Amino acid sequence: MLAMGKSTTPAHRKYVIRTLAFMGGYVAVNVGAIFGAFDEIQDRPAAWLLALVVAAPVAGQIWATLMLMRDSDEFVRGVTAKQFIIAAGVAMALFSAWGFAESYAGAPHAQGWLIYPLFWAVFGLVSPFVRTSR
Amino acid sequence: MRNRLKLLRTERGWTQEQLGQALGVSRQAVNALETEKHDPSLDLAYRIAVLFARPVEDIFDNPHALRKSG
Repeated sequence: MLAMGKSTTPAHRKYVIRTLAFMGGYVAVNVGAIFGAFDEIQDRPAAWLLALVVAAPVAGQIWATLMLMRDSDEFVRGVTAKQFIIAAGVAMALFSAWGFAESYAGAPHAQGWLIYPLFWAVFGLVSPFVRTSR
Repeated sequence: MRNRLKLLRTERGWTQEQLGQALGVSRQAVNALETEKHDPSLDLAYRIAVLFARPVEDIFDNPHALRKSG
């Protein structure tokens, strides 16, 4: 998510700062959960709030990407949109295929939140190959 | 889109960064225009035309122009 070209423009610098802020929150809550910080609220209504809190930076990161596109020139905007659409499409297709594999082929269950790191992994893989706005 | 942007830029001794600043776009955008990886919007094409004081079609080949016969 940070590998979107050289961070030389003000728009890119803002994007990097926003990304670090959102991902810092995301990682902090998840590390806290892994080390048992929220064990007491599991299976209680508060756990639903925790789930929403962890997911909020995901929405924030999408907002940061939209702001990058708004503040960038037409070339960067076009390339970013293309990278985002390809990554989202590939991630959805892969995760859907895995879901069907669970249903029909007995594949082990994959947690729903894996779609987010999967999306950014695919984004990182496809971005170097998307260099035109057409 | 084929164009003479690099030629016009280098004639003036400008870097891609300098041309980008004059146009209000990134260096990457200038590079993409010069290497035909980005077709400019009409707005950007007109800004480039004003900067170089030339008609748009002197800078960008019109791919839809009718070929002259004989």
